[in-house]
Amino acid sequence: MSEVSSYKETELVSLLKQRTQAAFTYLYDNYSPALYGLIVSIVQDKELANDVLQEVFIKIWRQIDQYNPEKGKLFTWLINISRNASIDMLRSKSYKEQQQNQSLNPDVYTAAGAINIETDKIGLRKVINNLKEEYKILIDLAYFQGYTQDEISKVLNIPLGTVKTRLRSALIQLKEYVRR
Amino acid sequence: MDIKAYIQSGIVEQYVLGLADAGERAELEQLRAKYPELNEAILNFEESLEKTATANAIQPPAFIRASLEKQLFPAPATIAPAENTFTPQPQFARVYNNNLWKYLAAACIILLIASTTLNFYFYSGYKNSAQQYQALLAERNTLQANNVLYKQGLQMFQDSLMLRIPMNPLPGREQNFATVLWDKNSKAVYIYTANMQQAPKGKQYQLWAIVDGKPVNVGMIDSDCNSVCELSKINHAEAFAITLEKEGGSPAPTMTEMYVLGKVKA
Repeated sequence: MSEVSSYKETELVSLLKQRTQAAFTYLYDNYSPALYGLIVSIVQDKELANDVLQEVFIKIWRQIDQYNPEKGKLFTWLINISRNASIDMLRSKSYKEQQQNQSLNPDVYTAAGAINIETDKIGLRKVINNLKEEYKILIDLAYFQGYTQDEISKVLNIPLGTVKTRLRSALIQLKEYVRR
Repeated sequence: MDIKAYIQSGIVEQYVLGLADAGERAELEQLRAKYPELNEAILNFEESLEKTATANAIQPPAFIRASLEKQLFPAPATIAPAENTFTPQPQFARVYNNNLWKYLAAACIILLIASTTLNFYFYSGYKNSAQQYQALLAERNTLQANNVLYKQGLQMFQDSLMLRIPMNPLPGREQNFATVLWDKNSKAVYIYTANMQQAPKGKQYQLWAIVDGKPVNVGMIDSDCNSVCELSKINHAEAFAITLEKEGGSPAPTMTEMYVLGKVKA
C-alpha cells in the first residue's frame, strides 16, 4: 500500500470530511480492493458483495464525521463498517430464505458451518483455517456471522463463560497467524 | 493491574475485530489512555489486520466506482438539461393533440356506427309497426263495414215491410238454415245464409223461387256474403229454395242438391 502513504490518514480524513471528489477517488482506489476482499470472504457471493461494497462506500461517505481516530485507525473503521454491512446483508438474505424454508434448525449449524469454513480459501477465512476446529467455529460465528457471545452460547449449547474464554484463546491464536 | 497479561488476553484482537461487547470496549478504551503499551498493541494488531486484508484484496468490478460516483457526485451536466425540458414541451403537447384528434375521430366513428345501427333497428321497428297498423286499420274497416251490414240486416229483419221466409233443412241437410227477406213494395229479394255450410270449392249456392210450381233463378249467393245480401226482384213466388250448384250457377236446379226450402205464407 505504497499509495496510501502519500496521504497521511489524518489528511485523508479531513479531505473526506470536506466531501471532495478527489478524496473519494483516493479512498476508493486505495481501499476498495482490500474491503471488497473482506466482503467477498464474508458474503461468499460476488453479486451480493457488489451491493455491499456500494453500501459500504455510501455509508463511509455519510458517516465519516462519526469516525473517531482515538478509537482506531481509519482502516480498522472501514473494515468494521464492511464487516457489519456484510453480516447485515447475509442476515437479510438468510431471513428471506428462512421465510421460504421455515423448518430451519439452529442445530444444523455445527455441520454446515464447518463445511463453509473448509471450502473457503481467501482472506481471514484462510487464516482461521489454521485454527483448531472449536476455535474455527467460534471465530466463524462471531466474526463472519456476527453472533454475539450470548447467541453463540445458545447456538453451540455451551456456557457463556466458556464462550468468552474460548473466544479469547481463539483470538490469541489468530493473532499469531495474522502476524506472519 | 497486570497490563501485560491484559494485552495477552486476546481482548486487543477482540476489540479491533469488533467482537468486544460494550463493557469490554469501555474498559479497554479507559486503559488505553493510561497504558501506552496497550495502545501500541492495539495499533500493531490493526496494522497486521490491514496487511492481511491488503494481501487478500480483490479488485471490485469497475461499474461499482462509476455507480458510486454517479450517486455521490451528480454531475452538473445532468442538471443542466432540466432547463431544456421546457423547450420540447410544445412539441410534446402537439403530439398529445394529435393523439387527442385520433381519439376524437375514433370516438366519432364509433358513435356513427352505433347511430347507424340504431337507425336500422328503429326503422325496421317502425316498418313492422306501420304494417301492423295498416293491417289493423284494414281489419277495423272490414269490421266496421260488416257492422254496417249487420245493422242493415238487423233492421231488415225488424222491418215490417219485409216478408220473412225461414228456410228449413231438407233431410240429410240438417244444420243448414237460411232466411229470405222479401221487400213487399220493391219486390227485391234478400238472403241471409250465415247458418249455411261453407260451399265446397268450385261450388256455389243458388236461390230459386218457386213460381207456379216451376223454379225461377233468383241469383247466386256469394261465399263472402256474411250478412243480408240482395239478389233479384221476384213479383210472385210460392216458395224459395237453395241448391248447391257449380260456380256461376245452373239454368235449372239440381234437385238432389237442394239444401233448404221455405214456403211463402199466403
